[in-house]
Amino acid sequence: MNDRPKTITLEEWEVRYPVLRRRGLVEPRYGGPLCRHVDDGDYRLRKLRYDNSPAALRLWNFLLTEETRLREAKRAGKKLVGTMKDLGTVPVMAYALDNLVAFYPDGAWWIPCIMEMSTGMLEIADSLGINESFCPVRAMLGAFVTQKHFPIPDLLTCSVGAVCDDFSAIAQRLNALGFDILWWEIPHRRKPEPGEPAVVLPGGFKAPKSQVDFVRSELERVRRALEKLAGKPLTREMLQDGIQTANAVRRVLAELRTLAYRSEPCPMPALEMLIAEMLAIHFCSDRAESLDVLTDLLNEVRRRVQKKQGPGRPGAAKIFWVNPVADLQVMNLLEESGGRIAGTEYLFCHALDEIPDRIDPMDALARMALADPMVGPAADRADRICRDVVRFGAEAVLISRIPGASHCAWEGSVIAERVRTRTHLPVLEIEVPPISDAMNPTLRTRFEALVETALKQRKGKTHAVRGH
Amino acid sequence: MLYAGIDAGSRTVKVVFLNARGKAILAQGLVDQGVHQEALARHLFDRLLREKKLDQSRIRKVVATGYGRNQIGFAHATVTEITCQAAGVRFRRPRARTIVDIGGQDSKFIQLDADGSVRDFAMNDRCAAGTGRFLEVTAGRLGMDLSALGEVAQTSRDPARISSMCVVFAETEIVGLLAAGVKPSDIAAGVQRSIAQRIAGMAGRNIAGSVCFTGGVALVPGMVQVLESALKVPVRVVPDPQLTGALGAALLARTGR
Repeated sequence: MNDRPKTITLEEWEVRYPVLRRRGLVEPRYGGPLCRHVDDGDYRLRKLRYDNSPAALRLWNFLLTEETRLREAKRAGKKLVGTMKDLGTVPVMAYALDNLVAFYPDGAWWIPCIMEMSTGMLEIADSLGINESFCPVRAMLGAFVTQKHFPIPDLLTCSVGAVCDDFSAIAQRLNALGFDILWWEIPHRRKPEPGEPAVVLPGGFKAPKSQVDFVRSELERVRRALEKLAGKPLTREMLQDGIQTANAVRRVLAELRTLAYRSEPCPMPALEMLIAEMLAIHFCSDRAESLDVLTDLLNEVRRRVQKKQGPGRPGAAKIFWVNPVADLQVMNLLEESGGRIAGTEYLFCHALDEIPDRIDPMDALARMALADPMVGPAADRADRICRDVVRFGAEAVLISRIPGASHCAWEGSVIAERVRTRTHLPVLEIEVPPISDAMNPTLRTRFEALVETALKQRKGKTHAVRGH
Repeated sequence: MLYAGIDAGSRTVKVVFLNARGKAILAQGLVDQGVHQEALARHLFDRLLREKKLDQSRIRKVVATGYGRNQIGFAHATVTEITCQAAGVRFRRPRARTIVDIGGQDSKFIQLDADGSVRDFAMNDRCAAGTGRFLEVTAGRLGMDLSALGEVAQTSRDPARISSMCVVFAETEIVGLLAAGVKPSDIAAGVQRSIAQRIAGMAGRNIAGSVCFTGGVALVPGMVQVLESALKVPVRVVPDPQLTGALGAALLARTGR
């Protein structure tokens, strides 16, 4: 079943899938051949390269069946909560109630890529005055208008304040279209004044206690709304259980990231790791299954690490990646250009940290929300990146700007400057649109140049060590 | 033994032949780029061999670089322009630590370590506003060639302000400036200044010492001065600046990267 790791195309998966079935592949009910998703309009899948493991197949099938899962949940009488701009806080609360299912409408930003612009979602956003000067997450507007990509949730929550300005504008337009939104405010995280009561947040940053208290009060409003929707109280014990389950997912991801990003050769491709990390924030609409999917992937990675196997080329340049890309194909391009992933910061590193579980659960969630890299100074984010660059042993840093995203225009430069100064590693900034086919040669040149530079510096360091 | 470098750039294809010790350039040349990149490169390659009476059987290795490097099937290896420019400039200017390369489609800012290897680099993003393409569009709009554009720009006393960060929008802006009666010399000088400012933005605070200027745009009259003004450091044009990529590729062919 577990053949030698390699990346394969969708056509190759078509050949491999029946072979695996004949060998006794056991799949969950959402399983099946990957190519069937192309029939649903996910045309981009034809251009991607995939890890060839059954665990990766399960991950992809889990991701690509989320809409079905949401519609089934709705039909089964569950209530849906759309948690906008919320990177991993409200879903933890919602899943603590057994009749609620949370999902992440912002995830619609990948639909134009996956469906290769066939849905007209960006055009709908254009027609609503949210044009390409905004982040590609504007595709979410189109998804709400067409109601084709996810069912309309029973409750929509959205954090505002120190979040992406683009997203706030897009959510306000959604609100103006008649979709009620429960707004909750997240303030810009600041350093405590001397003598001011302070709290250490997950990830190590400090914030004034007054800010944590404020966020907690905002989350209490969300809690009341969730209770009303569920028709039952969200007790402290239920929240504690929710936090423990979320932490179980995060622990699996933490081990997965450590093994995948530090082992040589790299045991899992960048693309599958991106998808896996994303599960931390929304559980892909099934919390229990997301834990199983990730555990399966972790077991595959453990097996490969033990055998010193991986799908990429040995000795590939170790690249730390900052920000998620709108076009998934670009993750493949990194490996095709001689690189491998060695650490990531996809704007939600706080959702990978364990939530404190020995304090009041609402307080713990408030601390976690305030640890969001996007709500603090860019320098804080850069510091954490520098720390992780060292931890994962990266040899170069790639910062992928999100076109139009207001937090990225200046943030990239701040991060690049600080990473250069602190780590002395080469840093490359790129910008990736939802479909980057026309830019492939120029992106490839940039990636290859970064790889050449990193490998040359590795060689120099090796010589220096030998010289000593 | 011979080594060859081919730079398949967006505007021209360049070829350089080096001798066995990598000290002497035996032949070099360029032709305009076209659809059939490999055929163009092959034709130039063969022509140089013929003209300089070089024996093809003595060619040990060919390295291709540039935008179309992967199209050159007869090359033994490919290396990016960044690494090749660094090697080529280093050959010409052994103490070089900072390179600005402005080509037809890309612009690059490259920092070198003391041993000449690339320490870090930055490239223009999707927009062509900081590249030779911007000059081409302007020259076309003003009805002159690139060299004349540079000459004309040098007569300007009041460079126009080009505010657009996109070549397409900037072209519209140029049309507006012409309609408003702004002199072509001021428009040309404004465009040159806009490119230089883009490069300065890309370089940030990372300029160490003097800057070596390479790429085809380095040949445009006046560009070196506007670049010096924008970067606030001395800028020196590398000899045969449009050929340093191919030269670097030939050097890397010899050293085995």
